[in-house]
Amino acid sequence: MRATRVGWGLLAPTLIILGFVGVVPFLYVVYVGFFDWDIFAAKVGMVFAGVNNYRRLVFDSEYLAALGRTLQFMIWVVASELLLGFGLAQLLAKNFWGRSVFRTIHALPLVVAPIAVGATWRLFTIPGFGPLPYYLDKWFGIEYSISRYASHAFTTIVLMDIWHWTPFVTLTLVAGLTALPREPFEQALVDGANRWQVFRYLTLPLLTPVLVTTTFIRIMDALRVVDEVWMLTGGGPGTSTRFVGLHIWLVVFPKTAYGYGAAMSLLTLYFTIVLSWLLFIAITQSGKQTAS
Amino acid sequence: MAEEPQKPSKTNNTTPVAAPVRHVGRKGFLPITTNLWDRFFIGGVLLVAIHLLWLRFIEFYLPLPIATVISLILMYVIMRWG
Repeated sequence: MRATRVGWGLLAPTLIILGFVGVVPFLYVVYVGFFDWDIFAAKVGMVFAGVNNYRRLVFDSEYLAALGRTLQFMIWVVASELLLGFGLAQLLAKNFWGRSVFRTIHALPLVVAPIAVGATWRLFTIPGFGPLPYYLDKWFGIEYSISRYASHAFTTIVLMDIWHWTPFVTLTLVAGLTALPREPFEQALVDGANRWQVFRYLTLPLLTPVLVTTTFIRIMDALRVVDEVWMLTGGGPGTSTRFVGLHIWLVVFPKTAYGYGAAMSLLTLYFTIVLSWLLFIAITQSGKQTAS
Repeated sequence: MAEEPQKPSKTNNTTPVAAPVRHVGRKGFLPITTNLWDRFFIGGVLLVAIHLLWLRFIEFYLPLPIATVISLILMYVIMRWG
């Protein structure tokens, strides 16, 4: 009984802080989601709207298109970053000359703020000024313009995100790889397992917890990307790179539709939770079936 | 003179901290092993999904409270037999 009280006492500061910075704002957003609240509307203040915001939301083609675009972006960046990160982690887990220098240089993008990453890539790719469009045109005759072609803008944002966040995946997987026990690998080698079998039946299952955690972090980050995209393309050309986070920002701040913005935020959070949960179930349950 | 064996002090005689309980869950009609919290979560997710789909496709013909009743029944079924 005393131990329980001490435990709750030790947890109390964290729980109180989490309650104030996490739970209370979340509940407030849920509350606001049921109101019409626009500071420039004829009726000042919050007007109860029931589920009207959600009714409007399920027919909002702009929001649904932004959500689809964000999912597409998320699939591209998370898959690429995991593949690249895993390959680089395998490389960095080995000893070779210049490993520390390479690891430091590789991790540098992580310390740059997303807004600065967006600004740098804008200077790098802006038509008529950046070196990338200039040399692509000069050397290969490719007309590259992120302000004119939607596919170019989307691809550039995907590449920028991969450049920015692959080091994070690499570092977490390196940490995971170096923490793996040696014995099972030695036993597998004694038993005559080849490299593929060691990877498929040892490395991958043992690394699953780290992989799942990294994947979730990256999925959640990719679904709420705003600042880099805002800096690089501003959501354009047209609405081709207007991802859901940027769309919500544009509705909530310039248009001051707080109630509707709250509903959009909650629906996005709902999709993020469902997606992460489905992925978690798929990975953990398939692991159990393989084990049994 | 032989030393007396030390008696265990009262301060050391506290109840040991219990190890965290691992909820292994059970298997119902759902294709995965779940505990009560998992089933509550699945019920909640379905409740929201049903309401959203109802608003989008069915509300024109049938009112929303029907979706609420269906969702709550489904939630109970999942928590009881899922």
